[in-house]
Amino acid sequence: MTASISSDSARQISRGIGGALLVAVVWELCARGLDLPAYVLPAISSILAGLANDAGSLLAAARFTATESLAGYAIGCLAGMAAAVLVTMVPSARSVVVPLATAINSVPVVAYSPLVLLWFGIGMASKVVMVAIAVSFTIFLSTIAGLDRVDRKSVDLLRSFGAGRLAVLWRLRLPTALPLIIAGMRVSTVRSVIVAIVTEMLGAYGGLGWVIYQAVLQVDFVKVWAAIIVASAISLAFFGAISFVERRYVFWR
Amino acid sequence: MTLVEGYFHGAHAGAGGLANGRAPTRGKVVPGTVPEQDAADERPLIELRQISKTFGAVKALQDLEVSIRPGELVTVVGPSGCGKSTLFNILAGLEEPDPGNILRLKGVSSTASDLLGKVSFMPQRDLLLPWRNVIDNAILALEVEGMPRAEARRLAMDMLPEFGLAGFEAQYPNQLSGGMRQRVALMRTFLFKRDLMLLDEPFGALDALTRTMMQRWLLDVWQKHKRTVLFITHDVDEAIFLGDRVLVMTARPGRIKLEQAVDLPRPRKADIVTSPEFIALKKTLLEAIEEESMKSFQVAGR
Repeated sequence: MTASISSDSARQISRGIGGALLVAVVWELCARGLDLPAYVLPAISSILAGLANDAGSLLAAARFTATESLAGYAIGCLAGMAAAVLVTMVPSARSVVVPLATAINSVPVVAYSPLVLLWFGIGMASKVVMVAIAVSFTIFLSTIAGLDRVDRKSVDLLRSFGAGRLAVLWRLRLPTALPLIIAGMRVSTVRSVIVAIVTEMLGAYGGLGWVIYQAVLQVDFVKVWAAIIVASAISLAFFGAISFVERRYVFWR
Repeated sequence: MTLVEGYFHGAHAGAGGLANGRAPTRGKVVPGTVPEQDAADERPLIELRQISKTFGAVKALQDLEVSIRPGELVTVVGPSGCGKSTLFNILAGLEEPDPGNILRLKGVSSTASDLLGKVSFMPQRDLLLPWRNVIDNAILALEVEGMPRAEARRLAMDMLPEFGLAGFEAQYPNQLSGGMRQRVALMRTFLFKRDLMLLDEPFGALDALTRTMMQRWLLDVWQKHKRTVLFITHDVDEAIFLGDRVLVMTARPGRIKLEQAVDLPRPRKADIVTSPEFIALKKTLLEAIEEESMKSFQVAGR
């Protein structure tokens, strides 16, 4: 059973790599064959060369962005979950907070970026705050939805065992909510990297968004693409890590 | 009226209502008429009087009276929607009956919520938690009570063979058959050692063959563990096969229509269901249920 699962995922991975290679080849042929200018589409080979050239600065920028994303992500996840649990425990707060959160969450969070930059400066703090805001609303709403999925009969069963509200929360509601919480966390990985990069473009001292912005000003489109590739790699790795955790701990679905 | 009138028990325990020509009911007497010298033994474990429950405009129970003696296995049958589950929810402490009721646990007058944590309750569906394996599902109630997990697991491991689950302790619910899931749920109920066990149609969802096996198995386990059991079912055969007494409920609002002692010898073998005594009991009970089903049907069709 385990063998077949791992051979399945091996096949999936090899297919993914094959697809990426195919895209790279087509890209290279188009860029070279049609002789496209770099501001339209530089050839993959020159992007990879640029990557190697600027490896040091790109890696530093990547670390910068990854730190912001991860820190904001962690804070956002914890805050979102904590708020959801609190609101669930205090039903009267719920009817006020949930519509408000839905309203705030429906506006693209980056709309708040200029304000947050103003309040927290153009250092790392503003990006961490932006990512935390973006992630926390998603996690808050998915945790609420997850906690609501609990079966009333199961709650009654636990109550009949003498369980109080906290015991019901810990042994029943949170595990029931876990699949939706982790699904929200998986979606939020990509969102956190996006928000960090966009906020960096609006004002920063470093990071991939800042590199992209600077490279555009210097008309260095190979560097823009190199930074984009690094950013996707971070996103993919982050997404993959949380997906792994999800498969591992939400095994019962 | 029909034959059934003779068996009418209704709200008046003093009326007796157990007279039955076909199956003599010696030894089983309605509480309240118990002779003085037996009082200590025969004191009801739980006693309900004048229990009514209204949900909005719907009266689910009206003046229901039940008392259960220690060690008894009492089965409850009735037409669907007669308030059986409401009765169970009250006994499990999940719902308060309307004011003016009398509810005594071991002679101490209580409210329903006092019963929370004092009755081991098994709902209709197994409600196993999919993220817990067999052993951890079985110890759920013990964990809630605060028993250390290792100790609870040890207790449960010792019980596995008896519940036909030896070797399955590490399996998850989605890997088990319906009958096994039900046994895990029963084990969870048994491990939560309380004076009264409430089983709400525990075998309702199982196929006929598995159900018969589970019934015989339940009787074995019950006799070994000496628990007091109240068992809801809609299967008359099951009610007679398992019960010391069968309570028939009326159509809504639910009351006890008939209280029928089952004097079939124990241990009961599978072929007892074809004995004349069994058939006679079944006839009596079916007539009573039929009458009530017709009533609820007429009300619904009006």
